[in-house]
Amino acid sequence: MVGYILNLLILVSISGILAGSLNFIIGYAGIYSMAHAAFFGVSAYTAALIAMNLSTSLLVAIPAAMAICAALSLVISLPSLRVRGEYFVVASLGLQQIAFTVFSEWKDVTGGLGGITGVPVATLFGYKLRSLGSMLTVSLVCLALVTLVIYVLVRTSFGRNLKAIRDNEVAASAFGKNATAIKTIAVAISSALCGIAGVLYAFHVSFVNPESFTVDASVLIMAMIIIGGTGTVFGPILGALIIHLLPAGLTYLTFLPARELASLQQIIYGAAMVLLMIYRPSGLIGRSNVKDTWTR
Amino acid sequence: MLFLQLLVDGLQLGALYALMAVGFAIIFGSTRVFHYAHGTTYVIVGYVFFYLAERLALPWWLAAAIASAAAVVFGVALDRFVYRPIQRDEGSFFTVFVASFGIGVVAENLIIIFFGASFVSISTPLTRVSDIGGGIVVSYLGMFSVLVAVLLFTFLNWFLAKTDVGVALRALSENPELVRGFGLNPRKLSQYAFAIGSLLVAPAALVATCVTGLTPSAGHRVVLISIAASIIGGIGSLRGAGFGGLILGLAESLAVWKLSTGWSEAVSFIILLAFILARPSGLFGTRARV
Repeated sequence: MVGYILNLLILVSISGILAGSLNFIIGYAGIYSMAHAAFFGVSAYTAALIAMNLSTSLLVAIPAAMAICAALSLVISLPSLRVRGEYFVVASLGLQQIAFTVFSEWKDVTGGLGGITGVPVATLFGYKLRSLGSMLTVSLVCLALVTLVIYVLVRTSFGRNLKAIRDNEVAASAFGKNATAIKTIAVAISSALCGIAGVLYAFHVSFVNPESFTVDASVLIMAMIIIGGTGTVFGPILGALIIHLLPAGLTYLTFLPARELASLQQIIYGAAMVLLMIYRPSGLIGRSNVKDTWTR
Repeated sequence: MLFLQLLVDGLQLGALYALMAVGFAIIFGSTRVFHYAHGTTYVIVGYVFFYLAERLALPWWLAAAIASAAAVVFGVALDRFVYRPIQRDEGSFFTVFVASFGIGVVAENLIIIFFGASFVSISTPLTRVSDIGGGIVVSYLGMFSVLVAVLLFTFLNWFLAKTDVGVALRALSENPELVRGFGLNPRKLSQYAFAIGSLLVAPAALVATCVTGLTPSAGHRVVLISIAASIIGGIGSLRGAGFGGLILGLAESLAVWKLSTGWSEAVSFIILLAFILARPSGLFGTRARV
């Protein structure tokens, strides 16, 4: 039971990093990416390959994965951020599909649908993170660091520029801000932070396969933000907690048919997304003044 | 020889993609709703048809008519009960998109509960193939899909050029303020756009269900293809969306010539990214605003 809870908490922290990093661009920059699971996947595969062939140290895998994710993000941001917002969503959806195809078809490297199994235990400063407790500690520290980085970033002049662009791009440009460059950097930061989650995930579950990195996973990450509250620091973490506790909670409702649980869970969060968009677009702990984040 | 066969297959696939894409393009072009649940409409048509024709053994034309009616009801209901309340407070493009996505998730899983997650297919004598000379084979349904696409495009061109509703819809996509100024009701026009757009996806869903079968998650791919085709063709241009669909169908089919089949899906999106990079206004679009 303790193992189950620790495992759940590790997954919540990893999801918290995913949701927090996505919220950085959705909530503060108004850039809507559907490719977060692709970056998550790329970093998880990177970590798995590095661990199998090079080094099991997190201090090698994390910077490498962050760099690769940031570089990959340029593939979608350079072409699509020049044009209006819809194009970024579409380009990121396209990247998500291409990434999934690469994960499942580039069999020599990714192992195809079977994935990469037997990722060795992670090490940090030469200490093996074999127990769930140590893994949880590292995950929580990473979550705290990512949250702190985002918290600080949005309060710097860079963060104010982002919010200015989100609220009125034309006005921000008129004040001499290079909107495209600022948005491109924001997407690169978000993708790099997402890379940390992928590395932790690969080491934690010790195998990676394409199924974890589908467009549905991208939507799930987005659902965490939307349910929790966009543009808030703790909203994404709350959302991650809710999304992970929901399936655990549903198993206690014994009158539900066990076979349909996965579908019921999806229906619940799908319906939650629709209802929140209609009645409370700013999420559970978002500001009730909708106009701030969502309407520009 | 393989090349010619792939070309013929690509034309059939392209016709289906064109039909899907034009429906999306009408809705997106005139109402600016990023209608992700367009794929859901497709899946609903397929499953209603499957249920009526295969399980209840109704005649195919009756099943097809009811399934098409279901598409229209679904599209119009979404516009009225989901998109409109969101747009009431000037909902952003993305708020609508998220709600649309949520609808897709709910519908997909309801279908899984009722029909199971696995693949369903309908057996029809029309899927039989015939040789059209030189060893190239075509199925009757394949020819039928090309024919339906051509007929519907002709009809649509006439409808948008000659009827009042058609002209008003084109006006709505160009300047909603002016439409209001002329005393027309954009809300009402948006209902027409959803009705027509949803109806157009029905033939593609019916044919594709017979040819390749259907899964509850097919909608994602359908809407992604529709979006990609609309952008390649140029947002706001129906002709463009049709051509875009055709190009993607041909590209996906011809990709099999040089690549293994698993990669063919990625080809569409690589073309899409190339278009966004080089020509974001698409083939026929004129207004790639920044």
